[in-house]
Amino acid sequence: MKNPTYLIKESIIFILLSVIIGVSAQSILPNGISVKTEISLLGSDSNATAIPSVSINPDRSDDSAREIKLPAAFSAHQNGGAIFLDARSEDDFQTGHIQGAVNIPVHAFVDSLPYLEKLAPDTRLITYCDGADCNASIELAFDLKMMGFSNVAFFFGGWQEWQQAGYPQGGDSN
Amino acid sequence: MATGWVPPGGRLKLRVSLFQNEKIESTLYLLLRIGLGLVFVYASLDKIWYPGLFAKSIANFKILPLPFLHAAAIILPWMEFLTGLALILDRYPRAANLIIGLLTGIFTMAIISAMLRGLNFNCGCFNLDSTEANIGILKVLENLLLLGVSVLLEMRFRKALHLKS
Repeated sequence: MKNPTYLIKESIIFILLSVIIGVSAQSILPNGISVKTEISLLGSDSNATAIPSVSINPDRSDDSAREIKLPAAFSAHQNGGAIFLDARSEDDFQTGHIQGAVNIPVHAFVDSLPYLEKLAPDTRLITYCDGADCNASIELAFDLKMMGFSNVAFFFGGWQEWQQAGYPQGGDSN
Repeated sequence: MATGWVPPGGRLKLRVSLFQNEKIESTLYLLLRIGLGLVFVYASLDKIWYPGLFAKSIANFKILPLPFLHAAAIILPWMEFLTGLALILDRYPRAANLIIGLLTGIFTMAIISAMLRGLNFNCGCFNLDSTEANIGILKVLENLLLLGVSVLLEMRFRKALHLKS
């Protein structure tokens, strides 16, 4: 019978090969990531969430999503320089949303990749959800950073603040 | 003759007769080996293509410390791919099966641990999109089935080695 240590040797070879190919592949794959996990604090101070932020391009200095407040979100909306991404469910989106927003339910993020992959990596993206009660905007911002978008912000005040301010809205209720 | 009486060696004979058709047995194990390999190659593809999303899937389990998330997300899918491919091609199949068994065991324990902590999220076991089922008892059973196949293959490899020696 063959010496059982061959099993350990072969297993180590599999592990080493996985490390070498896995790390090397990251520079070739379009969605490759760096080995180092960068931790960012997202959210306002009271709602800060530690999540790993990911960039496909380690050279980028702007590596974390930022929070923006209502005035800045409104200004970006009026200037037309940003795409608003609604992280809520399709039903909530249909009922009412920020005018011109695109619905990307965070639980179905991968289903939206065909749309997102057409956007330039430096497109200004602003995510939002219901408001302070939900974290979907932060999660979506995190996913977008993982895709490699460099200019991502989340509007934590979300739909509730926007609605209360009476800013432009779309959806069935309008 | 009393009912239920077993002649000396009878049980052994019955056991041997279940496997007396070596051709059927070999075909069965060939299918299991290739099937398990295909499952792991398939399971690795989405994770290889979207390592960032897989990192997020791992993060959902809240087990691995954050600094190790990316390293795991980079290495694990390739381990699944290479070992799956090795099983399909019958190259170093025993070591590949050993790693597959260990990975499946770890994944199963991670799912059970997440369930016990009341966590509920997409498993990310085979796909990273919304079609993937949430963690739950079905996922545990699915993993146990894979683990069972891996154990059967290990028994087969041991038997083959024993016959050779």
